[in-house]
Amino acid sequence: MNDVNSVSFGPTVDTLSNAIAGADMQQTAIAENIANVNTPGYRRQSVSFKDALAAAEGDSSGDDLGMLTNSDRQFALGSQAAPQPFDPQVQVDTTDKMRVDGSNVDVDQETAQLAQNSGYSQTMAQLLQVQFMRLREAITEQTH
Amino acid sequence: MGFYSSVEISASGLSAERLAMDVIANNIANANTTHTPGGGPFKRQLVVFAQKPGGAPETAGDPNDIEKLGQGGVEVLGVEQDQSPDRLVFDPSNPDADARGYVHYPNVSVVKEMVDMMAASRAYEANVSAMQEARNMTNAALNILRS
Repeated sequence: MNDVNSVSFGPTVDTLSNAIAGADMQQTAIAENIANVNTPGYRRQSVSFKDALAAAEGDSSGDDLGMLTNSDRQFALGSQAAPQPFDPQVQVDTTDKMRVDGSNVDVDQETAQLAQNSGYSQTMAQLLQVQFMRLREAITEQTH
Repeated sequence: MGFYSSVEISASGLSAERLAMDVIANNIANANTTHTPGGGPFKRQLVVFAQKPGGAPETAGDPNDIEKLGQGGVEVLGVEQDQSPDRLVFDPSNPDADARGYVHYPNVSVVKEMVDMMAASRAYEANVSAMQEARNMTNAALNILRS
């Protein structure tokens, strides 16, 4: 997302826009799974964009943020890794066959994920909206 | 990845399920048809679904490599005939009866068609909700510009 525009509005905007882009990829994968719900032998797809998001924040474990150090005399608590570029990948789930026709799509699971992903994306969009509102207040010195 | 790619995928699902619905309706309508242009009774028809390659260019292509099939939605490869045997009904008075007195009726089971129709209908609804959620997400993203 960063290379699209050279102007950066700060790490919060970058993270939130990455989250929305990841949720959009996830939505595409879920739509693909639901469209192929009656296709024999189809393998479900998923996007682990939250891991990619954590890696972009410099966290490899994906559940806790590590403390950064800038000297070898400091203690590093938690896991820490260099921030990676945000690059979520579409993964094909080849593990288990749960249906007679060889497909592993569970339409209930996909619908639940659809609702979850949509809620996540709308929350991130709302947060981004609030962040831009704050930036606008800073630019206009809160003169409405 | 296009702005509306997930909507297009859901749309491919909608048209595929609608075609399945048309074929099922045709099967039910012809459940007792004993004459066809090709001769013999009507044969039950089945829709063959396949995942459509395409979508994201970096993942599209090689249909033999399931890892690289990409996200193009679903497509209908064709409508095939069910080759199971005809339903035989003993009715010597029927003008279509054969030498042994049996009438060859289509291999259509209306109960089975009803079950298939419900499956296609539910899959259609699932695609509609996927499309609605994609629209909600797009609306939320467009609302960032407002305020």
